[in-house]
Amino acid sequence: MSARVPDTHAEAWALLPWLANGRIAPEDREWVEGHVAGCAECRAELAAQRLVVSQVERDEAAAPAPAASEEQRSFNKLWARIEAAESVSASSASSAGTPVPAPRAARTVRWLAAAVVVQAIGLGVIGLAMFGQSRNDAFVTVSSVEAPRANAPTVRIVFSPDASIATINTLLTHQGLSIVSGPGTSGNFTAQLSADAVASGASAESVAAVISRDPNVTFAQPVAR
Amino acid sequence: MALKSVETSNPRAVATPVTDTAERALLDRIARSRDQAAFRTLYGNYYQRLTRLLARMSVRREDIEEVINDTFWVVWTKASEFRGASQLSTWIIGIAYRRALNALRRAKLRPVADHEFDEDSVSVGSTEEQETNEQWLSLGLERLPVEQRMALELTYTLGHSCEEVAAILDCPVNTVKTRLFRARETLKQVLPQLAGMSGEKS
Repeated sequence: MSARVPDTHAEAWALLPWLANGRIAPEDREWVEGHVAGCAECRAELAAQRLVVSQVERDEAAAPAPAASEEQRSFNKLWARIEAAESVSASSASSAGTPVPAPRAARTVRWLAAAVVVQAIGLGVIGLAMFGQSRNDAFVTVSSVEAPRANAPTVRIVFSPDASIATINTLLTHQGLSIVSGPGTSGNFTAQLSADAVASGASAESVAAVISRDPNVTFAQPVAR
Repeated sequence: MALKSVETSNPRAVATPVTDTAERALLDRIARSRDQAAFRTLYGNYYQRLTRLLARMSVRREDIEEVINDTFWVVWTKASEFRGASQLSTWIIGIAYRRALNALRRAKLRPVADHEFDEDSVSVGSTEEQETNEQWLSLGLERLPVEQRMALELTYTLGHSCEEVAAILDCPVNTVKTRLFRARETLKQVLPQLAGMSGEKS
């Protein structure tokens, strides 16, 4: 074939994996195949590599594919993270006239964003469940938000998609929290501490720290006032 | 050999000129108009492939989603910076590979390094061979240093060319050949299924 053909055993040996997987460079295929035809050692090695390829294909065929719902859930988390980061970027750019933060800077809000993410699903579940509740129920619902109080300690929360309405209600009540807005574009809720809770020593920071450890809460962060 | 008959899309689907062109069109929509639908489609094209690849790298199950989403975070934020010198798939998988290495370091679960390799402790050929036959290759792959395993996985599982593997791993082509050479030698040492097939080197 061409003048560049090295036709050495070592070089052919090194290229056998790509002869086995069918992706060897066109300019190499002919001379490697020519060498293999006359080399028992390379023929045996090629057979071994083809056995690996066929076993990989068997393993791949036998492996269960990730569930489509799992993929969508993962994407929702990523998208919420993007929305949260871009929201932060937009607000900081508009308030300070600064350029949009670099990805590294945006990463600093990663947990915030990630938390906000899951709520997209969670809020859907919550919203549906809340829709079925009577208006006389004691639950704090999106449709019965309290009027925000100036200077009240405020927490931003994303609930787990698995959290039930009853669980969320209990969680909020125990902490003296009332939802004042939400869901936001990324599905997060904003809740304020009651005057009683503040009087008992609770702060946005302490409450956020407590509920962020709750498995029913994906994300909780005090809101700077 | 009893194989489960599970219908899956072909995770070995390597970027062909056609798919690369289609995926570049998606990336262009992301870069120009921040197109969520295009982003979702591209994400779906890689989710299964990366999930399996990362699992084979021994990335912890709970870290896999994070690695994939970190990867696509970069795709979203850097879409306009992709120069197109390589295939889009090698760019995306390369990002995932580097993120996965970071995850492995964080988890302190990085597989044994070359110098730590102890062939006396890794033989998987035994009387249990019949029982473990279905997983014989996976057992061997688990014994490889991560760099060698990735070179092998990218070649055999995802079907990439040598040049594409080099682009993904960000190393010279000859380094890829060396890693795969060593991986092959190790597998023959620990896998009786392969040991009997190759003649002694002259």
